[in-house]
Amino acid sequence: MVLQTGGIDYTSLLYALSFLFVPVYIILGPRLQVYMALNDIGRGLSRLKLMKDKARKETIDYVTTTGKTVGDPSPRIDQFLDYVTIMPVDIDPNGIVGKIDHVVTVRDERVRTEVGDLVSDKNPVTVSVSENLLEVAGALNNIHKVVRHYYLLGKKTNSYFMLLQLQMIMPQIVQEADALLNAVDTFKLAQPVGDGIGPVIASRYMYGRDKQVVAKDTVMSISEYKGRKLYVMKAEGPMAYVGQPGVGIKHIIDDMGVKPSAIIMIDAALKLEGEKTGEIAEGVGAAIGGIGVEKYQIEEVASGHKIPIYAILVKQSILEAISAMRKEIAEASDKVMTILGRVIEEKTKEGDNVVIAGIGNTLGVAQ
Amino acid sequence: MATTSVATDKKTKFTVFTIEECPACGQKTKRPFQTGDYITKDGAKCAKCGNQTRISLIYAEATKPA
Repeated sequence: MVLQTGGIDYTSLLYALSFLFVPVYIILGPRLQVYMALNDIGRGLSRLKLMKDKARKETIDYVTTTGKTVGDPSPRIDQFLDYVTIMPVDIDPNGIVGKIDHVVTVRDERVRTEVGDLVSDKNPVTVSVSENLLEVAGALNNIHKVVRHYYLLGKKTNSYFMLLQLQMIMPQIVQEADALLNAVDTFKLAQPVGDGIGPVIASRYMYGRDKQVVAKDTVMSISEYKGRKLYVMKAEGPMAYVGQPGVGIKHIIDDMGVKPSAIIMIDAALKLEGEKTGEIAEGVGAAIGGIGVEKYQIEEVASGHKIPIYAILVKQSILEAISAMRKEIAEASDKVMTILGRVIEEKTKEGDNVVIAGIGNTLGVAQ
Repeated sequence: MATTSVATDKKTKFTVFTIEECPACGQKTKRPFQTGDYITKDGAKCAKCGNQTRISLIYAEATKPA
């Protein structure tokens, strides 16, 4: 059927107009996509701003109420949020791990000293929780600043590809920020986090035994298991410490002269989508995250003395690792104990020494 | 101060519980988390044998799926 009224052929007219759509789309299409990307990122950015403001407020509240700070801590906390750690130059051929260790140690000591000065309550749990809250608030502040930078840069330069990349990773960024914000409540109440499963296991071997400090914020106890001598270490709880397991293991082997037949590390591991929370994986190698300094130290001492390292990992998501320990993770502890016993029996013999390290944040887990 | 702490994520609400375990008879008691609880801290007397219990676990349990 042909549409024709008053001598005008509408079908032909529409057909001709449809050709106009192509150049219009070519010219305006990218602008439309930029507009949509900006809208999308803008929404995420607003959420990030809310999150970082909430984390800042919660930190100030904690420091004021629980930390009993005298006066208004806001200006000092705002300064902390913009605290910068300048990493050493990475073109150094002599190795930079020692330098990174030095820089990070100086930063940690400075933060602890300044937080100690800020809070009047000198309870080590309060001080360590304040440190962790500042770290979370600082991380959220940084995430917001970086995303805002690229958002504004993309807007200014009208760069579709810059905005597209940001738009693509935005859901992951918001998810991670959400996890950090969730951690705030857990830290404020000093509850064990999912990452603390390693220290939970270590504490079972250490409870009721003498403890000795083997590194900063790190303690060790000696116990026995079926004729083996166990050197069990973890960060000192119930403070929100991760300790220095690398320095601790080196101290046990090099300074105390212990010759272990195995080092067994228990840690939380990030699960892949589809894996179940609380699943346990066994493996070999240094099971420890972080910046890499501790891992390097453990690998150095283990390879130098030809000591095998065995790992027992409890799977969890990033959200679960930094929020209150889920039931599935806590209940995995009995299975980990069984596996640990089996590994000790299989890989060592009676009379051997074994180093066991419970890796992770030990908030709410004493020993 | 007794507080039942509730952690949330997008879909599920979580309540944090403390498990007190008796080292003598193995009796486990589950109660809401209270501020100041930590693993290995002494708990209440065991309801079964009267011995001193010890906090063995603290965990968050899903209470109300959306």
